[in-house]
Amino acid sequence: MSEVQTPTPAQSGANGTVLSRWLVRPEAPALVFLAVLLVAFSLSSDEFLSGSNLESILVSVAVLGTIALAVNQVILCGEIDISTGSMMGLCAVAAGAVATSTGGLILPLLTGVAVGALAGAANGLLVTLGRIPSIIVTLGMLYALRGVILLVTGGTWITGIPDGTRVLGTGSVLGIEYPVFVLLILFVVMEMVSRHSTWGRNVFAVGGNRRASRLAGLPIDRVRFLSFVLVGVFVGIASIIYLGRAGSVQTNTGTGLELQVVAAVVIGGTSISGGRGSTLAALTGAVLIGVILNGLILVGVPGIWQDAVLGALILLAVTTDVLRRRLLGDKS
Amino acid sequence: MSAATAALRRLKLSREVVLLGVLIVLMVVMSLLSPLFLTVGNLLNTSRFFVEVGLMALGMTLIIITGGIDLSVGSNVALVSVAVGFSYAAGLPLPLAILFGLVVGLAAGLFNGLFITLLDLHPLVVTLGTFALFQGLAYGLSKAEAVSDFPPWFAYFGQAYFLNVVPGQLFIFILAVVVVWLILSRTRFGRYVYAIGNNEEAAHFSGVPVRRVKLALYSGIGLLVGMAAVIYTSRVYTARGDSGLGLELDVISAVVLGGASIYGGSGTIGGTVLGVLIIATLRNGLVLAGVPSTWQVFVLGVLLLVAVFLNEFFRRREE
Amino acid sequence: MRPSDEPGTGRAATAAEAPPVFRLRDVTKRFGGVTAVEGVGFDLRPGEVHALVGENGAGKSTLMKMVHGLYAPDEGTLEVGGEATEFSSPRDAEAAGIAMIPQELDLFPELSVTENLFVGRHRPRTRWGTLDRAAMRGKARERLGSLGVDLDVTASVKGLSAANQQIVAIARALVGEARAVVMDEPTASLTEREVRQLFRIISDLTSGGVGVVYISHRLEEVFTISDRITVLRDGHHITTAPAADLDAEELVRLMVGRPLNELFTRSPHSPGEVALEVRGLGRAGEFEEVDLVVRRSEIVGLSGLVGAGRSEVAQAIFGIRSPESGEIRIDGEVVRIKSPQAAMEKGIFYVPEERRSQGLILPFSIKNNITLSILDRIARFGFVPRTERQTADRFAKGLSIRGGSVSDPVSRLSGGNQQKVVLAKSLAREPSILLLDEPTRGIDVGAKSEIYRLIDDLAKEGKAILLISSELEEVLSMSDRVVVMREGRITGEFGRNEADQERVMTAATGGRDRPAPAGRGEEAPEDE
Repeated sequence: MSEVQTPTPAQSGANGTVLSRWLVRPEAPALVFLAVLLVAFSLSSDEFLSGSNLESILVSVAVLGTIALAVNQVILCGEIDISTGSMMGLCAVAAGAVATSTGGLILPLLTGVAVGALAGAANGLLVTLGRIPSIIVTLGMLYALRGVILLVTGGTWITGIPDGTRVLGTGSVLGIEYPVFVLLILFVVMEMVSRHSTWGRNVFAVGGNRRASRLAGLPIDRVRFLSFVLVGVFVGIASIIYLGRAGSVQTNTGTGLELQVVAAVVIGGTSISGGRGSTLAALTGAVLIGVILNGLILVGVPGIWQDAVLGALILLAVTTDVLRRRLLGDKS
Repeated sequence: MSAATAALRRLKLSREVVLLGVLIVLMVVMSLLSPLFLTVGNLLNTSRFFVEVGLMALGMTLIIITGGIDLSVGSNVALVSVAVGFSYAAGLPLPLAILFGLVVGLAAGLFNGLFITLLDLHPLVVTLGTFALFQGLAYGLSKAEAVSDFPPWFAYFGQAYFLNVVPGQLFIFILAVVVVWLILSRTRFGRYVYAIGNNEEAAHFSGVPVRRVKLALYSGIGLLVGMAAVIYTSRVYTARGDSGLGLELDVISAVVLGGASIYGGSGTIGGTVLGVLIIATLRNGLVLAGVPSTWQVFVLGVLLLVAVFLNEFFRRREE
Repeated sequence: MRPSDEPGTGRAATAAEAPPVFRLRDVTKRFGGVTAVEGVGFDLRPGEVHALVGENGAGKSTLMKMVHGLYAPDEGTLEVGGEATEFSSPRDAEAAGIAMIPQELDLFPELSVTENLFVGRHRPRTRWGTLDRAAMRGKARERLGSLGVDLDVTASVKGLSAANQQIVAIARALVGEARAVVMDEPTASLTEREVRQLFRIISDLTSGGVGVVYISHRLEEVFTISDRITVLRDGHHITTAPAADLDAEELVRLMVGRPLNELFTRSPHSPGEVALEVRGLGRAGEFEEVDLVVRRSEIVGLSGLVGAGRSEVAQAIFGIRSPESGEIRIDGEVVRIKSPQAAMEKGIFYVPEERRSQGLILPFSIKNNITLSILDRIARFGFVPRTERQTADRFAKGLSIRGGSVSDPVSRLSGGNQQKVVLAKSLAREPSILLLDEPTRGIDVGAKSEIYRLIDDLAKEGKAILLISSELEEVLSMSDRVVVMREGRITGEFGRNEADQERVMTAATGGRDRPAPAGRGEEAPEDE
């Protein structure tokens, strides 16, 4: 066919639109909120803004952030995964058992990743082939995997993780502690995958309009399946960081983590209904949670309120999302 | 046409017949595993455990029929339990403390309902948030402590026997079953519930007060949770922040096992009651057979997955 | 009639003896008990425009969905390039060079225009393996430029006008290397100028040897552009003939199966008091300054293109969308209607356009559907009484609903009978004002004729009726007055004797040369 050449108008780049574009980005409210919190906490506590405290916040959210980066993809697909708490526990148990008998980093890491990938694949298969809603699949899996942990360990702790395995939790590279380093590397990887891989782009399409995705011939089941497996892999990596930091595994390791992960993703600005969000949103959300929990302790709120704060944050995040959409006149 | 309808009716019937069959087989197996199982005393005693799950499952059935879900019921039990125990410990007369607990349960449900209807949010997200919120409030308000110096008559709700064998709370449950069954199958409200679950938009266009129905449902389950929590607290004679932990799994499993589609639109009270009985039998039987409680969580998780899978499998076959 | 400066675009390119791009042989497709298409043959030659016409529900979309791999034929075969083929998905069809632009646009509202064009297709990459976004944007601009529009390709699609979304969908279908393009009602929401752009694109395509299937209701367009015409009626193949051998009157007779004047029932009725009055009604982005009057015993036709805001106005009156400005009067009194329940209390009932998703609870029985809106009236102490069945029976008989007893699910009825159930539901409520949104869309001729008689009877009884319809014949034949909307505003009002096709179409499309909607023409560094 013939191409009719139309002159493109002068591309007006850097004017007022840059700021307005930035403000409609999904993670913008969370970033603003984070900045406000940083100011507020540093005013109310002298220790807060010290370099070591900030790094310790990042270290404390490494496990959460790593898993949130992957669950972010699942939520972008329009699905959800609330099995990550038990999955983390199981990966840690498996990796811990291998570590105590062989030591080293590679074998335990591979074990954790393999177990996670298997569990993620089970989730993915039940959601895609079994056509069961992901909330039910992963709720069932949350309990089933916790049961498996108890069966495998017989209720006992795994202790004495060798130092060679713990390096990801204790060591540092280039002056950055490993957990932070790993988190940042994975963030960059996910950002690239999300922006430049076909799968990464398809995730947005599948979550945004499933019917249209089917018509466009996208492999919807494969896209969703892979995102569940990715969660397993990232949970496996996170479990090694956990092992390094904690040095032992209990039967209740990871309990409640699944909520923090989902909270991080939605607080960061990824829409719970899918199709809208970003990798940065997941990271921002995780850091935000770390800052809040750390800040609360510094200003003297007891730790037993942690769940309440988390719940309130989830509600606050989804409410802001809805209100922002209404204010922007998005009537769909 | 009429032949097809009859076939469909038979199929509907058979779903409940199948469940009944499962229940009977389960009971036989359990009685073989443990001679204690098939005694009147044990069977009636089992009902102590399932009444709490059962009460919540009744409300959950209606919610799941509308296509919704409430993940916060377990945490709400904790919240009510703490509300009763700690308001009593703070000097409120016990009857008022119980009333206060019921009001807290109702208010928690209303809170869910308002979020869901006013902001048009998916119930999953809202109740995931309140799951953490209620749990956290229960922990925080109780400072992770327990109250158990109740007066003896408080035990009446959870430990009393009628004629020395029938647990008192069984009557409350039977009454609740009848009331909810009537509401779902005979009233305008029940028709609205099914209409919303099958096609919310068309229901709205037809003048069904969608928001009011949902608000009533989430508040209603809050009240049922309140009742269950009072019975629970009375039975264990302790009010703590971790009461009811994980109960949402039992409740949702029972409803789904009873044949309610997790996608909304179908489900019956009869099915749910059978689902509750099956889960109770399983739990009780496993305990009697000496299976550790760790297994039970695993079995329940797998059971939920299998039940949903079979449900959706058969539903697709029917179409 | 539509002025045309590009007559018979593809005609010259037709090679009558060339082997067809694809051919359907005796295909049949059933959905449950309903036969949508039966024993139909259809073929598309390279370089021709083959129009597919027929009334709503005649089976056009179903037929083309079989070509596009969405449905597999129950009987009969599909041949592509002379070989029998089975597509299991649209992806297969597109791999074989068959593209489709569906009637309901399937776009990704959150994604940018560029992303929409490339979803599911090959994306250009840089030598680092990353996506070459500049190349993607360039291709997108080029593709849209060839359609004569200049959009901001980095803007998200949800912010575009209906017409621009349509253009994005067309551009999307053309990104692949298509040998056949199926266009299902592509001009439904386009202005005159945009239609001409589309025809130019089609002519470019056909001169390059691509075959185009053109599904449309607008007969003048069909005669302007097509080489051959195939007529379907009630799922059957009626005829296939060169466009030159047919004229409009003959075509209508073939489509409808009988002369038009036998289809419509229209008895004289004298409009009375004003029942419904709307003044200055507006809602941002949907409609503004809408004035409308409907009297008792009057049928007011509301015409316009798809997306002109007609349904939105009716839904605002019915309390589904809250208007942001203006007022609504019922029998002269200002009312504020915040919900469908409130509207029903005031005697208003809206019969929605989307029958299956908005009008019916499909798994419910006929009875439960008919009584759904009157439960608050008939329930005693909240309980549904046994007399419910008699009520349902009465309305089912009154509207001669056929195909099952009132306890059967409505999902098993034919489209026409389903529509009668929706009407029965509204009549059970005994409204004084009826808002009918495309009441005959997608139903067979027999049921249509019955529904026209019913509408006429209702007007005679004194009901005020607003009839929203995209079918000109329907509006012109049934209405006492015709009101036309375009892009959210009222652009014309004609008495029964002044209304004719040309005046209504002019008001609906904005006459001759309207400027094409401008793109935003801005560029931002990121295209997320």
